[in-house]
Amino acid sequence: MFRALCRRLSAVRKYSTTTAEYPFSKSVTASQPVLPPTDALRKGKGLMQHLSKTLVDPEKRHMVDVLFSRRHPERLPPGSVLTAYTGQAPFQFSGVLIAIRRRGPSTSFTLRNIVQRMGVEMQFFVNSPDLKRVEVIQRAGGGGGRQGRRMRRAKLFYLRDSPEKMTAISAGVRG
Amino acid sequence: MISLKGTLNVIDNSGALLVECVNVLKHKVNHGYGGVGDEIVCVVKRARPIPASALASTTAVKVKKGDVRRAVIVRTKKSFPRPDGRIVSFDDNAAVLLNNKKEMLGTRINGPVSAELRTRGWGKIVSLAPKVL
Repeated sequence: MFRALCRRLSAVRKYSTTTAEYPFSKSVTASQPVLPPTDALRKGKGLMQHLSKTLVDPEKRHMVDVLFSRRHPERLPPGSVLTAYTGQAPFQFSGVLIAIRRRGPSTSFTLRNIVQRMGVEMQFFVNSPDLKRVEVIQRAGGGGGRQGRRMRRAKLFYLRDSPEKMTAISAGVRG
Repeated sequence: MISLKGTLNVIDNSGALLVECVNVLKHKVNHGYGGVGDEIVCVVKRARPIPASALASTTAVKVKKGDVRRAVIVRTKKSFPRPDGRIVSFDDNAAVLLNNKKEMLGTRINGPVSAELRTRGWGKIVSLAPKVL
């Protein structure tokens, strides 16, 4: 049954570049064509490339390929203020993006916030089903001035020792 | 990761300010490291002066420097993973003092506590905390 599905999906892919059809339901669409395992893949050749294409959920592709990528023009620079919405408590956490760990499907980012005079850091994994969405409250490097200057570091761990720099970043943020 | 000689801030109103860990009460562990939700035996290193009303009373809890007390760790600087995949760390180590029956000595908590306390069975502390992260 799986082989028949693969054959039908690969047939659709040959003739059209639109989304592949799921033969058993009209409401379900595969936004990414299923990559059936090739002979080379079965031997283990090109396994990591295959995994980096298929392990990421289609809903999270935007996060991995755009928001937390290395060179995309719309990527989030460190120093941005984000809110991460999750399925488990605490259901949302806002903070300054101080680190991005780029590992393809295992990409993660760390947010730092000061809650009731106590600094808290939370590391979220982008591909986790628990992470629902990420909202950008303020992008770093926006304009000139003290608040909008581009951060000259990829990892902003120096913010742990200077609360005044944290307040400078969050001074422009409302709420 | 709190073990012997690790210092923790006390975030309740029991009177103690800083405690030093002496022993981690954790079964089935060879290393003496404690995390959030673990009970420790600690020595009070710094305490607030005991108010006159408490000195006069016989039932009030009098916490002074040099006391050996029990405490539960509520925040750690060391990052710990959560079951949902997140990794959380705080800026300091904090504890809440307890008596031998695992009841809190203080009546209020100031500052956030870790949400792992809820899963480890410290519901009373979680309900008193102003923020659970």
